Amino acid sequence: MSRDRRIEDQILRKWTPLILRTLLLISAALLVLGLATMGSSAPGYYVRRFRAAQLGVSHIRQEWYELGKSALSGDPRSITMFGLFVLTLVPLGRVGFTFVLFLRERDGVFALATAYVLAALIAGIMLGRLG
Amino acid sequence: MAPPSRIGTTGRRVCPLSALASDLPTPFRHENDRRSFKAVLNIVSGLLGLSLLAGFVGALSGLGGGVFIVPGLVILAHMPMQVAVSASLISVVATSAGASVAFVRDGWTNLRVAMILECATVTGALVGAYLAGVVPHKVLELLFALMMLQSAYFSLIQHRDDNVPTSDRCCTWLGLGGEIENVDGTVSSYGVVGLPWGASLMVAAGFMSGLLGIGAGALKVAAMDYFMRLPLKVSSATSNFMIGVTAGAGALVFLARGDVSTVVAAPVALGVTGGSLAGSRILPRANVRTLRLLFVAILLMIALEMAWRALNGI
Repeated sequence: MSRDRRIEDQILRKWTPLILRTLLLISAALLVLGLATMGSSAPGYYVRRFRAAQLGVSHIRQEWYELGKSALSGDPRSITMFGLFVLTLVPLGRVGFTFVLFLRERDGVFALATAYVLAALIAGIMLGRLG
Repeated sequence: MAPPSRIGTTGRRVCPLSALASDLPTPFRHENDRRSFKAVLNIVSGLLGLSLLAGFVGALSGLGGGVFIVPGLVILAHMPMQVAVSASLISVVATSAGASVAFVRDGWTNLRVAMILECATVTGALVGAYLAGVVPHKVLELLFALMMLQSAYFSLIQHRDDNVPTSDRCCTWLGLGGEIENVDGTVSSYGVVGLPWGASLMVAAGFMSGLLGIGAGALKVAAMDYFMRLPLKVSSATSNFMIGVTAGAGALVFLARGDVSTVVAAPVALGVTGGSLAGSRILPRANVRTLRLLFVAILLMIALEMAWRALNGI
């Protein structure tokens, strides 16, 4: 097995599971915490939002900094939303990590391919912001 | 022949599954609308139960939780397609992350193939997720029904023989071939062919994922298995590795647009992940062939239900 392939193998078998597990645990903890605080401190809000979702009204748009600020101040909805963001960032983190790996290997073609995937994920955020 | 129908309590024609769902005491009805912790507990436990089951069945059938949680939310929790799709996409990200931990440890994932094909899947997923916000939900339901029929077909067809090919010129240049460890500890090399065909199908798989909130694993595995001639275990592991990124691209569009219902998506993500972890533990001891036939029958029933709802404007 070549040196490059050995590094790839190590990244895959050792680091990727570690990143995936850590981010998954953090997001699961945030989701449980958000749901528990919402159920105990604002049950009316939860039921109202659930009914609104059944009617197709689920649109709540919040700026990132506002979301972070209100999550830190203990707002249950923001904590839950933050947990969902962390969960969605799992693939972004993994692709970013792979990008660094290919750059270190000086593998231009795969660094470019990974950069494209990374750019597409970021473009997804921008596309969503545009509506 | 059209599926049998009857008149529901609202005076509208409903399909058997919807009729059954409306007769069941579910926590998703308005009778439970007391604004108390208990009401929240009822709804959350209902969503958790539904998504645990979807994740469990999805793992056992090899189709993933998304294929079952979307119709589950639409038919049983009375959610519109867009809400179900966004919640499902997030749960697919979680499930893929959980499952790929085991696959990457076993060394079956081909990182290079995954990265090249992810270029195709994320492109399709972005277009699909964008369109999911504007396509009428009846059209989405009809497309979902067609996707379920396609999944049932891929579940039934036999996989080709594992004759290992030599990599073609393009795949050799990209160094896509790899090695896998056999049961007896020896290492076998495999080649890869047909990248353009595989990548074309991946655009379609990504599009379906973003539009319908599924992992589209069946199509991804089929593309790698039939067109790129990868060993089946490598196809499955690499597909699982890619599903998270594909679904993540779609989920980010929904999240940034503000179209994710946190009160639905959070319990669904937790439940589907838990269910799929339980399913994957049982899978090695299960009779996969019998289970697959059972799940294909369930898929066909749900596909009929979704098509019926779409065509009758329910």
